[in-house]
Amino acid sequence: MLVQQLANGIAVGSVYALISLGLTMVYGILRILHIAHAGIYALGAYTGWFAFRLVGEFWLSLFIGMAGSALAGYLIERFLYSPLLHLPRIAPLIVSIGLFTAMEETFRIVAGPHTLTYNAKIGIGDLSLGNFKLTETQLLILIVTFLILIILWVILSRTRTGLAMRACAMDAETASSFGVNVKAIVAINFLIGSAMAGAAGVLIGVYDNQVWPTMGSIPAYKALAIVVLGGLGNIPGTVLASFVVGMAETFFIGILAIPFPRDAVAFVAMILVLMFRPYGLLGKG
Amino acid sequence: MLEVKEMEVSYGEFLALKGISFTVKEGELVTIIGANGAGKSTILRAIMGLVKSRKGEILFYGKPLTEVPSHERARLGISLVPEGRRIFPDLTVSENLFMGAYLLSDRKEIQENLERVFGIFPILRERRNQMGKTLSGGEQQMLAIARALMPRPRMILMDEVSLGLMPIYVEETFKVIDQLHREGVTILLVEQNARKALSTADRGYVLETGEIILSDKAEKLAQNPMVKKAYLGGS
Repeated sequence: MLVQQLANGIAVGSVYALISLGLTMVYGILRILHIAHAGIYALGAYTGWFAFRLVGEFWLSLFIGMAGSALAGYLIERFLYSPLLHLPRIAPLIVSIGLFTAMEETFRIVAGPHTLTYNAKIGIGDLSLGNFKLTETQLLILIVTFLILIILWVILSRTRTGLAMRACAMDAETASSFGVNVKAIVAINFLIGSAMAGAAGVLIGVYDNQVWPTMGSIPAYKALAIVVLGGLGNIPGTVLASFVVGMAETFFIGILAIPFPRDAVAFVAMILVLMFRPYGLLGKG
Repeated sequence: MLEVKEMEVSYGEFLALKGISFTVKEGELVTIIGANGAGKSTILRAIMGLVKSRKGEILFYGKPLTEVPSHERARLGISLVPEGRRIFPDLTVSENLFMGAYLLSDRKEIQENLERVFGIFPILRERRNQMGKTLSGGEQQMLAIARALMPRPRMILMDEVSLGLMPIYVEETFKVIDQLHREGVTILLVEQNARKALSTADRGYVLETGEIILSDKAEKLAQNPMVKKAYLGGS
């Protein structure tokens, strides 16, 4: 039972990590709260859904969903945020909130207000060891997240571009004086972060077996809470916070059976962190 | 090699540099001295492309720089030791140095340059796996200089390298600057510590509220009564 809940919690936390990482990366380099990131997440789910309809192959549709989100994230940075960077950060924040609402309405107009059934054949099957059981979609979430986190870690810690990404998050001006094209690094941050959010959208789409226009609403604010919990801009902190929130939610509902709204857990955690550790779980302070 | 002509820089309404001109020749160590707020850092930041000059010209080996973005200026061989050191705090010492060598792609060359700066600053070799933020102020200054040397620049711009350092580190830092100069590195040094700067440099300029008011050989400037009075403590 405990192990089972642990596995469930890790699966939930994985998806949170995929969504929240892009948000923290964007904040780290541009100091913008990218609320529309949750729109990118929903866009990934829709793109994946349409792609699956078209090609009927799950893995390809996952890739197309990620690519669609990456492209959208890049365009948002290039045409909406970039021209506003000389203004106080409240300006891109307002644009971001407006854009998020506009994206939800666009999904509603294009794909309809009802939920779409995302019944993808994945083909990896369930995993059961005695009493312990992972459904196919849980297993899928674990595998995809694990692979993506490893790739991200390799990029950040083992490549020249990853080094420049970390340096730019600390001091973009000094990085540019050593030849780093900061605009390109910002674009890479958006591409990678948005692709991860797109993957999360597809995974939740198949996990919940549905895609709907406002599926990004709760993740939008929950990811914000997780990113604050992890320490804004702190990548390892965000991964840790995602799993902490995923576990906490699962344990509260699954084991203690406390009649506490699941989605409130992240926010209670955020409030506690802001009161006692304002730089986040792994932050200095 | 570096020629600045009638350069003007303003921050909003405030005119920080009022049309200054100076040159630095290949292999020279030139210093610009002046009080706090005279605009010394702004000169270096404008050469590096971190602030825009609104008038005038900057020529590097005859190439006009005004429209060149800062990361492209680095490619031309200009390197900056910024004011306040600006070490990447959460990168290790080695990673900070690799950032300095960001534009080099030949691993062997990077390794050679790493060995070279470790030779100049042995303490950095010992500290190479420590985070930048854990170094002392003096060590951070050495790291900032080492990082600027990593790309083997044609010219180094040094901004207030002695500011806030313990006297022993000031001596050490100027010894390194002198050594680099002897090796033929071209250096433009901006300093509040006029005494040390003038005793190390070939030539000097005196900057006062955004204007160059004096220029001469460094040893002559050090003898100039006005410079003595204003910048060398009146002795």
